[in-house]
Amino acid sequence: MKSPIIAMCLAALLTAPAFAEGEVVEINPPAEGTVTVEEGLQAWARIYEVTSHPRCSNCHVGASNRPMWSGPSYGKTRPHGMNINAGDSRIGAEFVPCATCHALRETGGNDMPHAAPQVAMDWQLAPVEAEWFGKSAAEICAQLSDTERNGGRSFLEIADHLDHDLILHWAWSPGGDREPAPYSLQEHVNDVLSWGVAGMPCPSE
Amino acid sequence: MGRLRTIARRSFLIGSVAIAGGVAFGTYMVRKTPDNPLIDDLAEGSATFNPWVMVSDEKVTLIVPHADTGQGVASMQAALIAEELDIELGQFEIDFGSPSAAYYNTASAGEIVPFMSTDKGFQAETMRTVMGAAVKVLGVQLTGGSTSAPDSYHKLRMAGACARETLKLAASQKSGIPADQLKTANGAVQLPDGRSLNYTELASIAAGIDPVEDVELRDPSSWRLVGQDMARLDVVAKSTGTMAYGIDLYLDDMVMGTVKLNPRKGAPLQGFDASDAEGMAGVQKVVPVTNGVAVLASNTWLAFQAAEAISFDWATAEYPAEQSDHWAEVEASFTDDRLDAQWRNEGDVETALAQGEVFEAEYRTPYVAHQPLEPLSAIVKVTDDQVEVWATHQLPRFLQQKVAAITGHDDEQIIFHNQFGGGSFGHRLEFENITVTAEVANQMRGTPVKLTFSREEDFVQDFPRQIGISRGRGAVADGQVTSMDLQVATVSSSRSQADRLGQPLPGADAQIVAGAWDLPYKIPNHRVRAYAVPGLAPTSSWRSVGASTGGFYADSFLDELIHLAGADPLEERIRLMDDDVSRKVLEEIGQLSNWGSPLGETQGRGVAFVHSFGVPVAEVVEVTNTDAGIRLDKAYVVADVGKVIDPVMFDNMMKGGLIWGLGHAMNSEITYADGMAEQTNYHAHEGLRLYQTPDIVTLGLENGEEVKGIGEPPVPPAAPALANAIFAATGQRIREMPFHNHIDFV
Amino acid sequence: MKLTVNGEPHDVSVPDDMPLLWVLRDELKITGVKYGCGIAQCGACTVHIDGQAVRSCQVAISDVQGEITTIEGLRTPDSLHVVQEAWIEKQVAQCGYCQSGQIMQAAALLDVNPAPSDAQIDAVMSGNLCRCGTYPRIRDAIKSASAKLEG
Repeated sequence: MKSPIIAMCLAALLTAPAFAEGEVVEINPPAEGTVTVEEGLQAWARIYEVTSHPRCSNCHVGASNRPMWSGPSYGKTRPHGMNINAGDSRIGAEFVPCATCHALRETGGNDMPHAAPQVAMDWQLAPVEAEWFGKSAAEICAQLSDTERNGGRSFLEIADHLDHDLILHWAWSPGGDREPAPYSLQEHVNDVLSWGVAGMPCPSE
Repeated sequence: MGRLRTIARRSFLIGSVAIAGGVAFGTYMVRKTPDNPLIDDLAEGSATFNPWVMVSDEKVTLIVPHADTGQGVASMQAALIAEELDIELGQFEIDFGSPSAAYYNTASAGEIVPFMSTDKGFQAETMRTVMGAAVKVLGVQLTGGSTSAPDSYHKLRMAGACARETLKLAASQKSGIPADQLKTANGAVQLPDGRSLNYTELASIAAGIDPVEDVELRDPSSWRLVGQDMARLDVVAKSTGTMAYGIDLYLDDMVMGTVKLNPRKGAPLQGFDASDAEGMAGVQKVVPVTNGVAVLASNTWLAFQAAEAISFDWATAEYPAEQSDHWAEVEASFTDDRLDAQWRNEGDVETALAQGEVFEAEYRTPYVAHQPLEPLSAIVKVTDDQVEVWATHQLPRFLQQKVAAITGHDDEQIIFHNQFGGGSFGHRLEFENITVTAEVANQMRGTPVKLTFSREEDFVQDFPRQIGISRGRGAVADGQVTSMDLQVATVSSSRSQADRLGQPLPGADAQIVAGAWDLPYKIPNHRVRAYAVPGLAPTSSWRSVGASTGGFYADSFLDELIHLAGADPLEERIRLMDDDVSRKVLEEIGQLSNWGSPLGETQGRGVAFVHSFGVPVAEVVEVTNTDAGIRLDKAYVVADVGKVIDPVMFDNMMKGGLIWGLGHAMNSEITYADGMAEQTNYHAHEGLRLYQTPDIVTLGLENGEEVKGIGEPPVPPAAPALANAIFAATGQRIREMPFHNHIDFV
Repeated sequence: MKLTVNGEPHDVSVPDDMPLLWVLRDELKITGVKYGCGIAQCGACTVHIDGQAVRSCQVAISDVQGEITTIEGLRTPDSLHVVQEAWIEKQVAQCGYCQSGQIMQAAALLDVNPAPSDAQIDAVMSGNLCRCGTYPRIRDAIKSASAKLEG
């Protein structure tokens, strides 16, 4: 058996995402000490609205490797139709690659209602550690502030990641009559920065 | 049977031929066929013996006049002819033929008559014969109602036999050997000395001989093809991408396009602004048509894009705008003035239910779309002399009328090239794709026009299955079902469809209660009444028609009563059964499914039985109640069609019918909002996908006296069998489709 | 715009955002690839791009990088593809309209995984809709093809 994962990764390298696309985000963290813990928690509350929104949480699923369909466009919450399983690869390499339908689209999103969302990079699930779907604000906050589980990122690096990942940009301009994630990408980045400067405070359960 | 006389008289109507079907008639007499349409265009030196066989010096052509939309009817029909003609698969070509009265459907009269198909009494049989004659006179060439097999079974073997005997006479003339010393095999007449004369060599001589009409059909014991596994004639083309469907045809100088009609079905277009669309890439023209516009472009997709850029002022629908109002209208229809007919009334239901405990339950079935995978399309080319139409259609003679009314030609000038269809399930009984294309082509005479519906347009223009509610009242005593009183209120799809055919259909519509009233059970007190719901969305025949809803109502309610009685669901059905062929079907499903064998704690097993289109079908479904939802593990199907013509195709139809019934009962509905269907693509109406498909075991029985079709009868028992299994596994009784609104499936 | 389909080079003049499906069908008249839904819900338009199954209705022509294979190009001149042989042997098709896509998806599956489990077949083949309900035979045919590849 050939290795599907290696084949897919090669394909990903050959079609490296075009960072020129998408909204330009400015990363200007507030000065140290200018954000109170309370303000940080308010920023977190807004961040949670984003992380728990279907545009984000549908692909932030756990070890089931099954993306979800939820939110206003889908009616009842259900696993992604067609028995989709993204596999441990999180790109569907073991079964149907996400890119079978979520094909790379250099020019941006796919505006056809109910069609497969597309961006100028390979579609994939978030890492399994970043399981957000159905999780509480406290759980998600704990994960995001834990470098063991957030990809080893400081809050600045989280903000930078938001700037560079085109699937994340897509969440605010999903097209096809989908409801975008709340606020704007810039506001979300600003909230992440405020939350970080405040010391990444997390709500209690 | 006196109680049925009034209904019988009122039902003596031709229009419903177009919708229903199901009973075979006796031996068909070829010599009484209307004029053979093959004679008109017969080339010099070619011979035709009847409307189904044509031989030239190059090839043998068999005419298979039923539309093949995947049910394999072309192969089945060809095999019946070839069986008697002694020609092998591969030695002939097939052709769908032209619309002709000669191809009237002998079997389609069966379900018009208001008798149970298990009723072989004098009056029932007489009525079937009379209706059969009426269908013949009118030349209704229908593919529908699972009638292709019964229509073809005698007739096409007879056609093959007559052609064979005539070819033997031709060989006798050529060789000087008496015909009774000649044999036929392998597409040739075999001479006693071992030489053989191919049929094609005999064409010119045969053309000068009056066709033999007095032949005997062979004994089934000598059959080479019928009853054996046959390779479908189209299977290679369909496995290599080389099968051309109507949507795949490109004619020289053809223009392409699409159409958008008022999504509030049947209502007019009041105005539109296409100024943006007209400037878009590739767009050639925007043409008003009845209730909408067509967009012509250099590429179908460009036409789709442009059509989306047009702003429309649509008139409102004549039916209620919101789904809740549709349901309210059905709920309000259980009244004396909407009583369509009382279909059976044995014992004394009123008295029986006036005393003791009465069990009541209500069942609901929503609108459901057909949505075969090949979208609607048509190609039409109009010239002053004739009109050519390329599409797939189940009613070619009505198609001719509809087109002729648009172009002003005579019906006979409408040349219809019926194509292999990418599914139908009743969808290709309607005409919008044909008529809008004809309207555009008529304005562009000489140019072939191809219009293709987008999937979204196909969904909103689909005439769905009837919506309905059934209310059951019943009682049990001493472990037995003693009383069952069923009221069924649905839209009359037959009437809706007949109106569109210009064949208004007064009288009772048997399809409202098909699969519910005609179950051959003997229950001491048993009444079934039908109510017609007026004024809702236009509907159409959907694979298995009324039985797809009626079977769910009746079998679900019976299952509830059986559980109430504390009886075994299969044993009690067998005890109540009053028809030998059907009883055998139930007994065999018990054997096949190992009924009564132990299941796991989270598992459940359900049985259902429905008799539709003259075919008794029993199904068992086994499910597991997992943490994430219901999983369908196994399913069993037993049906008695009298004779299984092709075991492979039979198995395919049995499984496909079950899957169709399960998938739509679980996952699909059409709802209206603002007068428009809310479901516009498969994400919201997906039927069954592979991962939800259980392992399926099928068995065909041949105890029935007549040959029946199998395209539809496996559908109706699927939904109740699943609902009954879910009840067995969970204690939850699901009384409304789609089931996924009430329980999750994995 | 240049593209290679079944080994043949083509040059088409169409808008950049036209889906590959409609270039193949209406421009190049390669009709084994089917239009079913237009939104990646049915899989009837499945083709291979450099051996990977993709829904051609979802790929803008300007984004196509690689060689395209349609059902017409799956076989060699001398013989059918093992999946096509299995489809014929098992008599899978009813109406047949979805089968080009089913076969292309199954061929892509067996290319990377010649011995798929039942669960893998269920996962991979559930994006291809069949309205006729040929699924039991699709499962059989994939197993039959797999046995030949393994055997």
